Amino acid sequence: MRRRTTPFLTVVAVLAMLAAACSPAATTTTTGQATTTTGQTTNTTAAPVATTTTEQQAPIKIGASLPLTGRFSEPGSAAKQGYEVWAAMLNEAGGLLGRQVELTIVDNASDQDTAVADYEKLITVDKVDLVVGPFSSFLVIPTSEVAARYGYAFVEPAGGAPDVFNRGLTNLFFAQPARGARQADPLAEYIGSISADQRPKTFAIVSQDDPFTLGVMDRAKELLESGGLTEVFHEVYAPETTDFSALAIQVADLDPDLIIGGTVLEDSIGQIRAYQDAGYQPRAAYFTTGPSLPGPFREALGDKTEGILASISWFPEAATNQNAEFVAKFVEMFGGSAGDVPEDAANAFTVGQVLEQAAVNIGSVDNAALIEELHKGTYDTIVGPLSFDEVGAPQGSFMLLQWQGDTFRIVGPGDRAEVEPIYPKPAW
Amino acid sequence: MLVQVLLTGVLTGGVYALMVSGLSLIFGVMRVINIAHGAFLVLGAYLSYWLFTLAGVDPILSILVIAPLFYLVGVGVQRGLISRVGGDAGFVVLLTIAVAVSLEGIMGALWQSTVRTVRTDYTSTVLSFTVGTMPLRVPLVRLGGFAASLLILAALYLVLTRTRLGRAIRATIQNPEAAQLVGVNIAKVKATTFGIGLATVAAGGAMFSLIFSFNAGSHVEWISKMLSIIVLGGLGSLPGALIAALLLGAVENLSAVVMTSYISPIVFYLILFLVLVFRPQGLLGTRLRKS
Repeated sequence: MRRRTTPFLTVVAVLAMLAAACSPAATTTTTGQATTTTGQTTNTTAAPVATTTTEQQAPIKIGASLPLTGRFSEPGSAAKQGYEVWAAMLNEAGGLLGRQVELTIVDNASDQDTAVADYEKLITVDKVDLVVGPFSSFLVIPTSEVAARYGYAFVEPAGGAPDVFNRGLTNLFFAQPARGARQADPLAEYIGSISADQRPKTFAIVSQDDPFTLGVMDRAKELLESGGLTEVFHEVYAPETTDFSALAIQVADLDPDLIIGGTVLEDSIGQIRAYQDAGYQPRAAYFTTGPSLPGPFREALGDKTEGILASISWFPEAATNQNAEFVAKFVEMFGGSAGDVPEDAANAFTVGQVLEQAAVNIGSVDNAALIEELHKGTYDTIVGPLSFDEVGAPQGSFMLLQWQGDTFRIVGPGDRAEVEPIYPKPAW
Repeated sequence: MLVQVLLTGVLTGGVYALMVSGLSLIFGVMRVINIAHGAFLVLGAYLSYWLFTLAGVDPILSILVIAPLFYLVGVGVQRGLISRVGGDAGFVVLLTIAVAVSLEGIMGALWQSTVRTVRTDYTSTVLSFTVGTMPLRVPLVRLGGFAASLLILAALYLVLTRTRLGRAIRATIQNPEAAQLVGVNIAKVKATTFGIGLATVAAGGAMFSLIFSFNAGSHVEWISKMLSIIVLGGLGSLPGALIAALLLGAVENLSAVVMTSYISPIVFYLILFLVLVFRPQGLLGTRLRKS
């Protein structure tokens, strides 16, 4: 509906954006743990203040435009927290190359044009030293072009769709274990491991129109069909869709053994509730994003989460470099418990780790040198060791999670599984 | 299957009707589109969510608390803000946009961006029965939402048609100057109507919290849908809003099945377009009198 609103609503949207842009709260500058809300003037370059004894070095300025409001507000806000935890930990440990790190994070309201304008401004007006990426392929694709134009390295936490990597960019690096579309790989591997008489024979794909989810769906379809399954239903819905009952009734009518939802979060809850209402009981159910955000997912669905599958790049208990420290610092800064730390925050923290280790390796924050280094190095992060190919795609694999009881557990791939998967899925 | 789809669509449409009735009423009396209506809907949903999670109050019962509260807020907003910017409808619309943006900010600060929804014991309860040979399934929350919406709308309709206040409101909708001449206190009617409008959207928000998930930014999606419904129904007409809401619910669902879910919103806007071309006052609206 967003593209078909009346001119009147367009005016409303423009006014709302103007209001957001004029608001002093739109810019948040973080130094160490202190988060201060400032107007835009404070971000202009200030000469380093020389004291009588030692000359203090200016902070390294790092900019990002994140979707803090709008349809990606949930993961966008989590990414902001991840960046803030990284900056706080780094500054407490003495900073990057002996300089404090200062984050400038602005809100793009999940809008591509705003995000592009934000990165232009961060680079040309605020003159940040480094930029880091926004949440999701939808915003990473246009903004990475801006960074490329100015020769900035663009390490990003959540843009893994095919279109992120096929535009000939050499400055982009995706800080997750594998390309987004490969999220489907552990699912296909798991389905293939079920004994032939028990294995699902048919599947349905119900996906939001989003570059990330569609990439995963295409790959899932290809892998499952080559594994002998038959697709009986394939539907793509607009991001604004709020009511899934009609879709669910159609799926229930065809009764496929496996349902695959290409979802962000809100729609995973919408889909699952609609399937319950329609009386559809699949033997296995997989959703791209939603099940991996334990708090809201469990709150909305209660014990109906049992047996639901999803892919994940990270979890709070993982024994990876700095993970325990990251989780502890996150809880200290934002409250809650380890289970409340969102994966999207961890992915943003990973971006920080990659950038930090690359800068330390070359002893500089020069973007051209960083880009060269990032193509060569291997970085020890909270999602495991990361290295990147010539288009910035990471060379690892995702994990498969399944809801069991009141939390999710890792059930695949084989060597990383904590528990045996439940199959068939109990009724929801 | 089509009957099932139609049934679910109409039940959802009933809840849409409750969500938009106040918007239509406010337009009828004040000739102003309240852009903040969607934000108030989400606020109502959040308050129900809060009452449910903190005090265990069922969302349908929570209407008894939040509707009177919203009535007072509505009267306050009308008296303290809207009546002060004078008669220029353009300024009033700008003001309601400001209210919407402010509410979004406040809700975002209070409840963060996490999507919320109310899950009661009966959330996934489904009544199934058979008509002839056709099995049908009715989710309890949608049936409850539909029934409560119709009850509240019926009560509102009775107030509008059977009481002195209702006559004053209808007189103001038809012709404000004439109403004033025969002794209707227009300022009071406007404040009361805004209060009633918000009270209904509070009730709508409570129902909404049971069926849909939402966060502070959700109002942007919903206000455009809500505006479309009242334009289709005829601005200011309560029965028109009900019919349009049921029609939208049904069309939205049916077209998702007959065509694809992707183009179902287009079908609805196509109907809206045709109505505007051939019947600009909407299904049950009256043409604005030009003085």
